[in-house]
Amino acid sequence: MRRFKPAALIALATALSAGPAGAHAIWYAEHARQLALIYGVGADDLDSVKRLPGFEGIAAYDANYQPIGAKLRVAGPLVVVDTDQRPTLVTGSLQNGIWSRLKGEEFEKKTREEMPNAFYSEKTVKYTVAIRGPLDKPIPALPGQVLQIIPVGAIPEKMGAPMTYKVIYNGKPLGGVPVINDLVNDPDATPVKTAADGTVTLPVRNQGLNVLEAVFKAPTDDAKKYDEVELSATLSFVLPHLPE
Amino acid sequence: MNAKLLALPLIVLGLAAAQPALAHGNTRPQHGGVVLMAGETVFELVTKAGAVALYVTDDDEPVKATDMSGDMTISAGGKTQLVPLKPADGNRFDAPGATIPANARVAVQVKDKATQTSLGTTFTLN
Repeated sequence: MRRFKPAALIALATALSAGPAGAHAIWYAEHARQLALIYGVGADDLDSVKRLPGFEGIAAYDANYQPIGAKLRVAGPLVVVDTDQRPTLVTGSLQNGIWSRLKGEEFEKKTREEMPNAFYSEKTVKYTVAIRGPLDKPIPALPGQVLQIIPVGAIPEKMGAPMTYKVIYNGKPLGGVPVINDLVNDPDATPVKTAADGTVTLPVRNQGLNVLEAVFKAPTDDAKKYDEVELSATLSFVLPHLPE
Repeated sequence: MNAKLLALPLIVLGLAAAQPALAHGNTRPQHGGVVLMAGETVFELVTKAGAVALYVTDDDEPVKATDMSGDMTISAGGKTQLVPLKPADGNRFDAPGATIPANARVAVQVKDKATQTSLGTTFTLN
């Protein structure tokens, strides 16, 4: 029988405890110069139009983090956001339903009541914050963003530079949360957990769109229907490229 | 032919190829203002004699101001001033009543009235 060295077992346990790779998430990205609300993971840019009824908390903020008007609009196969003024931040969330699975089976869109012998049931909620303009002060805990990734300090100008983020849950720092550094281009990377103060430092991955994701399993608020609430939060920002 | 003579133009060619391509659009100020390029859209913010104006060029073509609506958000010292942009001649938008203090962020956005597509950027002024 093959025997594993203790160090290898610890490494394996650490990798497993870091949780699965990035869950499906929502984030904002430019398409044809318009800001679109994307649902997906990796290169999967999935059907956001059919999820339109689930989107809520669409908001935008100016440089002083005062709210400005924002609303979603279907534009062909995309959902784009229209803002009354050029925003510094844009936010949103998605109630993505309740999912249950039998042991060893795939998730189905059912509650525990609908699948009484479920091995696991969860409610899934997605949050997102997009940085669309220069920041003059730290981003606060934003309304409706139960789980949120906040940049700590200035955003570097060049990819590869270290960047510190803080994950907050109901406005308070949350340690032990797995964070994916590049949900779009490297979604299967081993997540890095936040420290006890909620911070994590990672190199900025792209001289372009950066989308980070944090996932947290919160306690259920309706045990009859689901065991946990899986919260996903993304933060997106863009490092500009050199003149074309 | 001498190998060294042949190598010289190849080196020059290689250096030229290593240079970034020039922008698709004129990024030099055309009205004495400050220029920012976002994607293929060039914004020029001009402040002259107390008047503030914005010129917008997209893919090296002037954006017809009368087809658009727009606004300017000026943020400085924790205060925000929202000024509607008034379409003027050609690709010029006027910002009547706007005053831009030092160290301001000036966010501009223009929106096509027909398609609702928007173009925008944020200037950081010293």
